[in-house]
Amino acid sequence: MTLLAVTRLELRRLFVRPLGWIIAALALAELGWRFALLLQIFLLNQVRLAALPDGPGYTDLVAVRLYSSLITGSPLPFGLIELALVLVPLLTMSTLASERGAGTLPLLFSTGLSASRILLGKYLAVMLWLTLWLLLALAVPVSLAHGVTLDWGKLAAATLGTFLALAVLAAIGVSCSAYASHPAVAAVAALMIGLALNCINLGAQLAGIRSGFINWLAMSTHQENLLRGLVSSADLVWFGLAIAVALALGTQHLAADRERG
Amino acid sequence: MNAPKPALPPVLQLEEVTRHRAGRPAVRGLTLSLQAGQVLGLLGVNGAGKSTTLAMIAGALRPDHGALRIQGTDFLEHPELARQAIGWLPETAPLWPELTVSEHLTAHGSLRGLSGLRLKQARTAILERLQLQDMGRRLAGVLSQGQRQRLGLACALLHRPALLVLDEPANALDPVQVVALRSLLRELAAEGTAVILSTHQLTEVTAVCDRVAILHEGALRHDAPLSADQHGALEKIFFDIAMDKASQRTQAA
Repeated sequence: MTLLAVTRLELRRLFVRPLGWIIAALALAELGWRFALLLQIFLLNQVRLAALPDGPGYTDLVAVRLYSSLITGSPLPFGLIELALVLVPLLTMSTLASERGAGTLPLLFSTGLSASRILLGKYLAVMLWLTLWLLLALAVPVSLAHGVTLDWGKLAAATLGTFLALAVLAAIGVSCSAYASHPAVAAVAALMIGLALNCINLGAQLAGIRSGFINWLAMSTHQENLLRGLVSSADLVWFGLAIAVALALGTQHLAADRERG
Repeated sequence: MNAPKPALPPVLQLEEVTRHRAGRPAVRGLTLSLQAGQVLGLLGVNGAGKSTTLAMIAGALRPDHGALRIQGTDFLEHPELARQAIGWLPETAPLWPELTVSEHLTAHGSLRGLSGLRLKQARTAILERLQLQDMGRRLAGVLSQGQRQRLGLACALLHRPALLVLDEPANALDPVQVVALRSLLRELAAEGTAVILSTHQLTEVTAVCDRVAILHEGALRHDAPLSADQHGALEKIFFDIAMDKASQRTQAA
């Protein structure tokens, strides 16, 4: 009950701050531009692609590619996940760091809420906001569903992958906010960790190494499988672990903060 | 013949409470209790341990040692008690600048377990009681210091707590508002609310408190009932205790 009170409070703060709306509006405008370009490329190649047996369709070339540049291989504007690497830290930076600055954090502690419930309440609020953002982005390719053949299974897998990537980035962002005294520090830290986690295997990839721990560690490895429509429990476990580790570290610091006073 | 009613446990009971901050004892072996309807003035020079004591009572800080009971129940074992039983106004009213006065009360009410009609009624009542009804839609970030303080007090009182913990509540209030605050505290005490009031103002203590406790270097040095005509005596006791610190410093130097 009180966890939901924290979630409601955080959602209210997200809704009344212009930053959340600016981020959402700019991101959707950019995604709209990306969608138009992807659609243009698809229409230009439609006749040639139709002649190919099992050739890629609207889902592969437009809908899924809206989410990420990972499998586009062309110099298009950022996909949703690349945007999220930058924008989610901006959205999460104030969740706890600003509470600390405004002196409202001790007030939350004084309501008898544990550090984990405070952190989880904030995380849920951010996730609700990001889910709304993802659904709006999803509405763009789905709006043409009546005129094209959509592979709903593949789109669902890609959407799940994008949702999980957002969930990991949000967990990192909220956790960094629990550590930082200033929102800007939290944003920079979350951005750096998110970028590192996403492309820690870049060197290995360039050297042609496609397996091993370094590739397992990178978020892009697991995200790519889901974007290609492949849902495996190993990938889902990785996302679950990443979220749990980030939230546990944030909770631990918040609890220590409470002890220190 | 009616059997005598069992005595109610004190609203607040501290036993040998100790808390270190930044490597030094901020509060040392503090033992104190407070009955329903009592108003306790907590005095002390800067750094005496008043704010640390109040933060522990409010549930924002855990003691290193000692026991803390609210209405007879161990508060450290059941920190969720604070949610309903305690209202706390820290030295600077903690507000979210992007939320309105009304949204603050809704958020505080939800955090303290109020919902639906009860929350709506409590919000309306406290806005009227603290004369904030015209400010419901104003953002906390644009309120004056005095208005912020009144909003902080409204948030602390919204859920009708059994114990009200106030740290310098008269800060930034104008003389008219100070008088209104005094009468509000007396009204709350008459309704059975126990109040702890930390302040630097001796006049504030003599005007509203029926008991005074003086902290010095984290330890309780004085705890006695008080009547309104004891201002001079209280001033002497306070300065005697405070000068003790000054003389110790001189000796150390």
